[in-house]
Amino acid sequence: MPVPFIMPKFDMDQEKATIISWSKKEGDFVKFDETVLTVETEKVAIDVPAPTTGTLARILFKDGDVVPVTKVIAYILKEGETLADLPKADLPTLTSKPEIAPVLQRIPAHQTFSANATPVAVRMAKEEGVDLSKVPTSGDRITREDVERFIANQKTVGRVTVPATPAARRVARESGITLETVAGSGPRGRVQSVDVLATARSVPSAVTAVNDREAEVVPLTSIRRTIAERMQQSFQESPHIALTVEVNMTEAENTRKRFNLQAEKLGQPRITVTALMIKVVAWALVRNPYLNASFNGDSISLWKDVNIGVATAVPQGLVVPVLKGADHLGVSEINMHLIELADRARDNKLKLEDVQGGTFTISNLGMFGIRQFRAVINPPECAILAVGSVVRKPVVVDDQDRVEVCPMVSLTLSADHRVIDGVVAARFLSDLVAGVESPGLLLF
Amino acid sequence: MPEISYLEAIRQALWQEMKRDERVFLLGEDIGRYGGAFGLTHGMLDEFGAERVRETPISEATIVATAIGASLLGMRPVAEIMFMDFIFLSLDQIANQAAKMRFMFGGRTTVPIVIRMPGGSGSGAASQHSQSLESVLMHFPGLKVVNPSSPYDAKGLMLASIRDPNPVCFVEHKVLYKTTGEVPEGDYTIPIGVAEIKRSGRDITVVANNIMVIKTLNVAERLAEDGIEVEVIDPRTLLPLDTETIINSVLRTGRLLVVHEACQTGGWAGEVIASVVGSPAFDYIDAPVRRLGGKDIPIPYNRGLEKIAIPQEAEIEQEIRALVGGRI
Amino acid sequence: MPKENGKGIEKDLGSREQFDERVKRLDLSDNTLIGLYRTMCTVRHFEYMADKLYAAGKVHGTMHLSAGQEAVAAGISLAVRPDDYLINHHRGHGHFIAKGADINLMMAEFLGKDTGYNHGRGGSMHIADFQSNSLGANGIVGGGIPQAVGVGLALQMQKRKEICICIFGDGAANEGVFHEAMNMVALWNLPVLYICENNKYGMSMDVERATAKLPIAQRADAYGIPWACVDGNDVVEVYDAIKIAADHIRSGKGPYFVETITYRYFGHSKSDRNLYRSKEEIEDWKQNRDPIMRFTKHLLQSEILDEGQAQEIDGQAEQVILKAVEFAEASPEPDLSTLLEYVYA
Repeated sequence: MPVPFIMPKFDMDQEKATIISWSKKEGDFVKFDETVLTVETEKVAIDVPAPTTGTLARILFKDGDVVPVTKVIAYILKEGETLADLPKADLPTLTSKPEIAPVLQRIPAHQTFSANATPVAVRMAKEEGVDLSKVPTSGDRITREDVERFIANQKTVGRVTVPATPAARRVARESGITLETVAGSGPRGRVQSVDVLATARSVPSAVTAVNDREAEVVPLTSIRRTIAERMQQSFQESPHIALTVEVNMTEAENTRKRFNLQAEKLGQPRITVTALMIKVVAWALVRNPYLNASFNGDSISLWKDVNIGVATAVPQGLVVPVLKGADHLGVSEINMHLIELADRARDNKLKLEDVQGGTFTISNLGMFGIRQFRAVINPPECAILAVGSVVRKPVVVDDQDRVEVCPMVSLTLSADHRVIDGVVAARFLSDLVAGVESPGLLLF
Repeated sequence: MPEISYLEAIRQALWQEMKRDERVFLLGEDIGRYGGAFGLTHGMLDEFGAERVRETPISEATIVATAIGASLLGMRPVAEIMFMDFIFLSLDQIANQAAKMRFMFGGRTTVPIVIRMPGGSGSGAASQHSQSLESVLMHFPGLKVVNPSSPYDAKGLMLASIRDPNPVCFVEHKVLYKTTGEVPEGDYTIPIGVAEIKRSGRDITVVANNIMVIKTLNVAERLAEDGIEVEVIDPRTLLPLDTETIINSVLRTGRLLVVHEACQTGGWAGEVIASVVGSPAFDYIDAPVRRLGGKDIPIPYNRGLEKIAIPQEAEIEQEIRALVGGRI
Repeated sequence: MPKENGKGIEKDLGSREQFDERVKRLDLSDNTLIGLYRTMCTVRHFEYMADKLYAAGKVHGTMHLSAGQEAVAAGISLAVRPDDYLINHHRGHGHFIAKGADINLMMAEFLGKDTGYNHGRGGSMHIADFQSNSLGANGIVGGGIPQAVGVGLALQMQKRKEICICIFGDGAANEGVFHEAMNMVALWNLPVLYICENNKYGMSMDVERATAKLPIAQRADAYGIPWACVDGNDVVEVYDAIKIAADHIRSGKGPYFVETITYRYFGHSKSDRNLYRSKEEIEDWKQNRDPIMRFTKHLLQSEILDEGQAQEIDGQAEQVILKAVEFAEASPEPDLSTLLEYVYA
């Protein structure tokens, strides 16, 4: 029996994957565990190995296809097996035929759109709600047959139905538009790429419906689609509460300076604020386990490991590489991991394990001068910390009302109220602030 | 730069190469005192002598065979078949011998010959003296088939053909003989197997050869005034065909039309279209892929009939307008 | 030398004195004569082995065997120089062997192996050895005849001493290019030796039914080319005629035409069931006119060889062929990945 080759599931949440490219083709001999194709999941690109040794046969999906996980994508023939051994079930079939098929017609040099139509044609068009100017004819008047044929072409559903140029099909695919919804301006109702583009333009959206402006239609990449789906899911499912604190970074800065002297001595890279922040956050999470959790519907998982994701912008969009076991790492280790992850993210070389298993996320827009912002929780986590820019401000530093100019940072925590109440969130933030303002506390 | 005719450009190439390489010699009927049926070898007998401008009896098969045999001993013959129509008399030597000798002898030899053949209609020469048979020659692996449309291309391609170690069929168009253009006086070659985009445009790719290149360029000039931008590609070599240039062009324009004088049925347009439609350019095709070939009739004698037997500028223009306008 | 009428060959061997006088006149040493004998044995064994291999399913396609025509091959090769150019036809294994081809490489090509002369691309019909100026065998009847014009022309233009030998059969003499070529070699006075190996049959058409006027060689008169027509199964006579022709050409006097009357024992090709000639006829030639048998008799008669020696030489020739088969069978097939090679230079 040939071995079915299924689209593997790599991630707990994963429902589908997009095929990026097959590196083998039908008829190729593949060895067990040899890479056969590369797919893109919601987060990263992954090489898929052959499940067994044999000959690759009946590839069912091609580059660019989005395939549900565990679906059969091909078969591997064992030695001695042939194509005749493959199951018959999954061959595609025509679901219906077009009613009128103008197949072996001799195509005349011109097809015109005539204002002229027979009275019967006019009546029929009116009854069927057909725009006569869209009905092509090979004569000099639109006849009933022309209208019937046009209607038939519009109605049929199935594999070979809407007459459309290959370019039109491609644009439709890329814009997520179904050809049946597009009115064809070509001869015999043929859809051309201009028609698809016109339809894409006319799809109402928040911005373009207001004024009838021109827009460049950008097809969704896999990553963007994922972000869109998940952010919507997060916002809809987890009731977000947001709490903000301002932290005095003076002590943290001093600590960082001392650390950097040490780092220089050891030839290590300079410690970033983020690295320090991650350490303190990890410490605070250990003390506030409900912030390091996931909601399961009828239970809550309080994760033993503290895996902190750092939201990172890359050209394709957003990726969140994860620092595993941040509570057990020293600041310098966290720092070096961070640098390494950032490099890999920038070069698009993140592995699946780099983006999996996060329990809490930090997002920092401080480098853009954003003082304060609210982030959306990254499911299945329960909380996310938004870090703003460091701003030097005058603050009251003691109970004598002495004022000094200090570096201040705004931290906003978004938390899932199903798991975390306001007080719980506040306690976490209070610990966090204490840890940042007196880093020595971490030794306690 | 001097402006000379297509005919003179070929003669110049032969002349210069014969001076440069003593292995090169000419074979053909009436190429000596008479100067060739079209005057192409005029003056060459006096310059190079009867041994190297060797007139033959009317024996087309042996003209080609002589070239083959001599090339096996290191000579570089340029044989002339007076009218392309006569290649059928020598087709065994062209297709069964020259094209296959290297291969069937396991790569142990080469057959570096050039066979010149003027073809094409428009001179009132009727059915047996007006054919365009390049489509036939494309079908023999081992041959190269070269087809210049301009004086510049003619000289460069002739020099390249003589220097190529493979048998080359050099297809000339007799009506193009008197067209003129700028041709450098010195030595230069045009690579065999490389097409040229004679005019850039974004609306449609038109592939044409020899005289149809001229006609299409004229049409493109007129259409530009109406805002229709035509990209005109001259393959220059039909075997091996530069499909890459054509495919890349269609990727940009989304439309393809092939125009040739040769009879439509079995004409080389089919080859181009099959190559493009089967390539990744398929997903960018936005109009039917079409061709305009000569009518499927032998060329008639009557002038009026002869003219309309092959694609005319008006037809080419009409076809392009209809394709670009989405009306076909 | 007798001008044959193309109808038959003497069965009678002639006396010892006649033979001795001939070889003396022609200055042929004993060793040279033994060499001729060896060559003919080698060709005979090669052809019979080829037949056996085919029957055993080891050679596919078809082959055109020249067993019975050995004297023509041996005689020609002795009379010309090793570096003279040879244009051959598809029944030409004997000519290759006589010219000194490497039998191992020939056999390997037969079996379609990569070590063959043509890397397995040509097979029996297209063997060529450009190193020794064997310009290839042609599968098209008469295909090589006009090419000899070109070879001769190049030799003339390059002012070289070699000549071009172009061998073809009686059937080819009726191809159009035969006449074109004869005209042109004569017109340009080219150093070409045309040899018509008349084995009395095209494929199934006997030469009398295909040719308006015999001997074929007399056609040379129409082109002003000197000619001769000889007993192709008498190796000394073949040598004599070819030597005269070659010397004539080499002295710049222009082309020559020699017809050799001979006979083939095997059918035209492997699919030939000999329906067009009788068993008796074939037997008659084998028994009474076989070139090797006749020459052996001469050598024995003139005491140049004894029975034992003759057998030994024959045995050695057989060994050479057997070794060639071993070599060929052990050779690799062409790598399938090289399918597209050798088409263009």
